[in-house]
Amino acid sequence: MTVTSGAVAAGAPGPGGFEHVVAETRRGFGRDLVRAVARNRKAMAGVVLLAFFLVLTLFPGEIAPHDPMASIFQPGLGPSREHWLGTTSYGQDILSQLIWGTRQSVIIAFAVGGLATAIAVLVGVSAGYLGGASDGFLSLVTDVILVIPIFPLIIVITAYEKSSGLTTLVIVLGALGWSYGARQLRAQTLSLRTRDFLEAARVRGERRSYVILYEILPTMTSLIVASFLGAAVFAVLFAAGLQFIGLGDPNAQSWGTMLYWAENNEALGAGMPLWAIAPGVCVALLGAAFALLNYAFDEISNPALRLRRLDRPPDVEPRDAAASGEPPDPDRVLQVRGLSVAYTSDEGAVVAVDNVDLDLGRGEFLAVVGESGCGKSTLVYAIARLLGPPFSGEIIGGQIMFQGRDMVTLAERQLRHVRWREFSVVMQSAMNALNPVLTIAAQMRDACKAHSTMSDREIEERSREVLRLVSIDPIHLHSYPHQLSGGMRQRAMIAMALLFTPDLVIMDEPTSALDVVAQRSLMMQIKELQQRLGFAVVFVTHDMSLVSHFSDRLLVMYAGQVAEFGDTRRVFDTPRHPYTRALLEAFPSIRGPKTHLLGIPGSPPDLARPPSGCRFSPRCPVARPTCHATPPRLVEVESDLVRCVLYDDAALERDPVAAES
Amino acid sequence: MPWTLGLVGLTTIFAFLIGTFIGLIAAWRRGGFLDGVLPPIFVITSAFPYFWLALLAIWLFSIELGWLPANGGYGIKTEEAWSWTFAGDVLEHSILPAVTILVTAIGGWILTMRNNTISVLAEDYVRMARAKGLKPWRIMWTYAGRNAILPNLTGFAMSLGFVVSGAILVEFVFNYPGVGWMFLQSVENQDYALMQGLFLLITVAVLLAILAADVATVILDPRTRDRS
Repeated sequence: MTVTSGAVAAGAPGPGGFEHVVAETRRGFGRDLVRAVARNRKAMAGVVLLAFFLVLTLFPGEIAPHDPMASIFQPGLGPSREHWLGTTSYGQDILSQLIWGTRQSVIIAFAVGGLATAIAVLVGVSAGYLGGASDGFLSLVTDVILVIPIFPLIIVITAYEKSSGLTTLVIVLGALGWSYGARQLRAQTLSLRTRDFLEAARVRGERRSYVILYEILPTMTSLIVASFLGAAVFAVLFAAGLQFIGLGDPNAQSWGTMLYWAENNEALGAGMPLWAIAPGVCVALLGAAFALLNYAFDEISNPALRLRRLDRPPDVEPRDAAASGEPPDPDRVLQVRGLSVAYTSDEGAVVAVDNVDLDLGRGEFLAVVGESGCGKSTLVYAIARLLGPPFSGEIIGGQIMFQGRDMVTLAERQLRHVRWREFSVVMQSAMNALNPVLTIAAQMRDACKAHSTMSDREIEERSREVLRLVSIDPIHLHSYPHQLSGGMRQRAMIAMALLFTPDLVIMDEPTSALDVVAQRSLMMQIKELQQRLGFAVVFVTHDMSLVSHFSDRLLVMYAGQVAEFGDTRRVFDTPRHPYTRALLEAFPSIRGPKTHLLGIPGSPPDLARPPSGCRFSPRCPVARPTCHATPPRLVEVESDLVRCVLYDDAALERDPVAAES
Repeated sequence: MPWTLGLVGLTTIFAFLIGTFIGLIAAWRRGGFLDGVLPPIFVITSAFPYFWLALLAIWLFSIELGWLPANGGYGIKTEEAWSWTFAGDVLEHSILPAVTILVTAIGGWILTMRNNTISVLAEDYVRMARAKGLKPWRIMWTYAGRNAILPNLTGFAMSLGFVVSGAILVEFVFNYPGVGWMFLQSVENQDYALMQGLFLLITVAVLLAILAADVATVILDPRTRDRS
């Protein structure tokens, strides 16, 4: 039951939230990186610019048309065929100076970037990994360096140190520019320290240096690269600035020095604008090359920043909502027909909810169960219309009739008025679902103000009332979420969902963050409130035993599809689908005889490539040849539904092997 | 000091406010015009040497077009007094330096705020706010924006603290009578006492700004409050 679906975890972040994909892809990271850079336009622009400047750095003599220092031409010439960018007041060729000047900036960028990154890695990783007193000391040094105003300090240093050559510049910039990178690397190391693969390495008895070099550093490639690029941009700009105000070697071949001479000769006013403009453009372009790479890296290593659009899978046809022709049943709160939801991923669309039908009567308690990644949360979020940007899920077909309206076609503006008054949502973790910077009262007031004309006093009254409903003392109304205990937060969220006594409350694993005792008491309370106030509940959980006594009906999902749907007692007593049977066998019974607990072999299928035929067939103990070939229909057995060929008489007749047995 | 604080300080605050706002909107309208066009542009402008941008601005707006004065804090002929003409003159002299700082500084805030907001938008409490049926602007400000700005506060404080050091080059280019200009003068004249004094002042400014950021964080983030 603890298996996570590869499809949802890797490609399409499910409702559980996005994960920074840093550590999991350790091997093959280099190759993936090259491919990702080639795909990213910003990264390519950066690479091309950088390559251009590298060529200039390596072969200035071959490329430059003239000797950069020779004052042999007529001073102050404009652009001509002989001098593309004109000449300086000293009769030097500007283009040649520019080309020769590249070398210093590039050297500074790489030398400072390398030096600063080396120090950052050394300090950051050691601090994070060693912890304790060494961490305290190293962090202190990092913070002190971080708050030192670097630019004035460098000016002072170069002012004392009369000969400020290239080496001084590199050492000073490198020694002061590492602190920001070190802080990030330390934070990352801290978060990695408790990961399983490091624990494993420690248990294996690997040496510390081995763990740091071969286990930690490879996972931080993107951060290290970012630190290098950031330091490089900083170095290029600072060096140019220093040389510009005359603190560099005035005879050096560099862009900053060119700017210094141009400014001293008032090149802009004296009709030689290119003398001042061209070196600046070069500094900007070199800086931009590093900045673009940095930005692109950020996008590559943090998938949340990438914007993906859903390409509709060709095989799923959006069902025309009106075509179902079924009149809405007034006894039903919710009627879902043919609902399909897809997520975008690098490998195209992944259908996470496939053609689901369900009905919910007034005041009914429906439980949706299944393994992680089976699409149960996606299903209820689709019903609540909470998919769509910034989440990558999208409804690609079907109809959701709620109180006579089709939720799928309802515009966000109209939907807003239905929300919370008629249906509300309780999420998995109240810690994350309550706004950390607002009090409970403020978050209740938000909802009340949005949907009613209640006065502040009435809102306060009502808020206290709903808190009492879930047995929280109303003194906690003005607390912030972090001041409450886990159970109280969860109750507070349920209280919030009851502000308007809606007809439907959607609950996505509302008890999974609690311990077993708290779980049970919360379930009792939910059930009691439901019976008292008469709202219907859709309750998502992976824990079947939790709902066995509370739900009226049970929907078992597997790989995005309905596996079995029926009366809860009946499903528990006589499960029909082999998957339901396997699920039930995985749970211990309290009163029954001692039996062997059986897990389900294998793991849920990758939804990007669902198995042909029945999706459960690769793990099914009673699978027959036809199961691997033809997808089974959802058949009705005594007014319940099950998706298995064993109950499909028509299909069985066509299958000779099945007919024998 | 008042010159530097007035020019660079105010500009830094404006850059932060405007940049944060644009970043928030860009992330909110994901894939829209702001989101598609601005980030790449500002990645590039943030790599511009701003003293060079200042040179260009002077060349274009004072030398070629003659619209705005090229240097100084106020005109040579203007009397230093509390008068409208003096105020107008100061304002006119501050436009070019202010705009160059704004253009180079704003990009960083747009990018960080955009990225922060994008991760905050994926949080459950923003989804919850949507489920509650709140008005979009309310979700944007009190749920997304309020939380996304928290990590930026320290950075903002640091940049305020670095106002003086950041001013050095701009004040140099525009001959603006602020602390940065004075600092460079002291370096040129080898006046070590003044140099050290100013350096101390700059460092104290950074520390004060960080203190202010901590206070602001405590006000905006209740989680940092009760650690008793």
